[in-house]
Amino acid sequence: MIANLRVIRTAFELDVKQQAVDLFMIFGVLIQPLLIAIMAIYMLLERDPSRGIYVVVGSGMTGLWTSLLFRGTFNINAERFMGTLEGIVASPTPLGTVVIGKTLASVSLSLLSMIFSYTLASVIFRFPLNVAQPIPFFLSLLVTVFAFISFGLLISPLMAVNLSLSGWVNALEYPMYILGGFLFPILLLPGWSNPLSYVLAPYWAARVLHATSSGAGAIGDILLSWGMMFILGIIYIAASYRLFKIVLHRARVDATLSMM
Amino acid sequence: MNAIEVRELSRVFRATIGTIRRSTKEVIAVDGISFDVREGELFGLLGPNGAGKTTTVKMLTTLLIPTTGSITVLGHDVVREAASIRSRIGFIFGGERGLYWRLSARDNLRYFADLYHVDPDVARRRLPELFELVGLTGRENEKVEGYSRGMRQRLHVARCLIHDPQILFLDEPTMGLDPVGARELREVVRNLVAEDKTVFLTTHYMFEADALCERVAVINNGKIVALDTPDGLKRHVEDLSVIDVEVFGIAPEMVDLLRQLPDVDTVSVEDRDQKQALRIHSKLGSAMVPQIMQRLDGNGATIGRVTVREPTLEDAYVRLVGGQV
Repeated sequence: MIANLRVIRTAFELDVKQQAVDLFMIFGVLIQPLLIAIMAIYMLLERDPSRGIYVVVGSGMTGLWTSLLFRGTFNINAERFMGTLEGIVASPTPLGTVVIGKTLASVSLSLLSMIFSYTLASVIFRFPLNVAQPIPFFLSLLVTVFAFISFGLLISPLMAVNLSLSGWVNALEYPMYILGGFLFPILLLPGWSNPLSYVLAPYWAARVLHATSSGAGAIGDILLSWGMMFILGIIYIAASYRLFKIVLHRARVDATLSMM
Repeated sequence: MNAIEVRELSRVFRATIGTIRRSTKEVIAVDGISFDVREGELFGLLGPNGAGKTTTVKMLTTLLIPTTGSITVLGHDVVREAASIRSRIGFIFGGERGLYWRLSARDNLRYFADLYHVDPDVARRRLPELFELVGLTGRENEKVEGYSRGMRQRLHVARCLIHDPQILFLDEPTMGLDPVGARELREVVRNLVAEDKTVFLTTHYMFEADALCERVAVINNGKIVALDTPDGLKRHVEDLSVIDVEVFGIAPEMVDLLRQLPDVDTVSVEDRDQKQALRIHSKLGSAMVPQIMQRLDGNGATIGRVTVREPTLEDAYVRLVGGQV
């Protein structure tokens, strides 16, 4: 147990080191959310400056999702292309443990996009940016980290089971912005799409972070979002456990641990 | 006691061909091989490219499930008891991949130490020892992307030793290294055997197997065609002489014509810049030279130096793999 925790810590640390010099991740985590934030801020300038915090949280969520999706997709496949996957699989550490560390790194780094959006909106555009319910907001942020890591644990083996799936990664980025209610409420969407949002932990994360930052978070609603994130997180982890087993078995049968 | 026991081992790969009318093609990479490796032995698996060496090593290291047959490593079955084996073996696959290039050598080893659940105090003590062993002391904080091929290969050796494994699987560890780098690496391997490690080495360099291995299995087209000590393998060609002929721009058809000569055992060709080196095995020795010259001359080949010599271990290997080098 302690040995596996050490692996998570080292995987986290070394993945942060590698991501910090990865231009694609810098774009996804910093530049793209800033562009989205600037667009949304200009849309709000003349209308409702008090909703600036909504923009900050929403654009931060886009950075969080982009980072999770792309890193999650390539967590295992990148190891495969680098030839390091065999070294990991042949070690006594479960592959999922390494992926937890790497996903934690992605989620932690992408929280930076929320901080950058906050700085942009408050310092440059001078929006009033008070988090109305700070303690529930930060607790929600912690539950969000758990929910996103568990979702990342699901994405990584799913994309590794079938390499052609990873070709769809770009197409999956924007639908989550919409279904997750990152930048506008899902009530604006057709009713039939709402159940899709309800099975996505990022939706509940966005819902509770928007609510607690704007002051609209009733205790029942906050607990519902936290509960849903926990339940969905457990479901994602259970599914990912099974998927990791399938990935490793198929890789040993089909000889796909190494690609070159 | 045997560290590795392999029985009737086979591996078949299936590949799908075609887009609309899809069909499955089967390739037999390893075909019913059996052998044992004793504890503390340096055992070589020698064969040409595509003979099944890497596939065999991947099955031995739990990374690939055999199609049929069984493998026992340190008394454990590689399919059912992979977890019991993994912390006790280390491996290197030839080439430069398998390391994190954006990280330093120290970070790479630190990570693999954690992956193999090495106690942090032990890892802290072992890291400088390993850098010393592989000659990377003073360069350990540099990123791997700035390393030469030889340095990366030596870092692979350090990575594979970080958890002090009992058995090392080295798959063509000197591939692509310059002669000095390859010699240094062979010295490291020798030292490991002196420390009572069991080493399973694959190579397609005969002299490497000759210099390092106690026993050598020769694999060709997935089958083991000989298993003996290097001296025992040399006896396979006691009855032959070797005629080396330098030629310029020889066509494959002309090589086939030489193969058709009576009393020619095998013919192999090695490209050397603008010329080719023909190696012809024959029981007749120098008496065979006029016939060879006549056939080459008659087909317009430009001939360089011709020598007749006693066979070496490499010639035994060439004969065993039917000239495929």
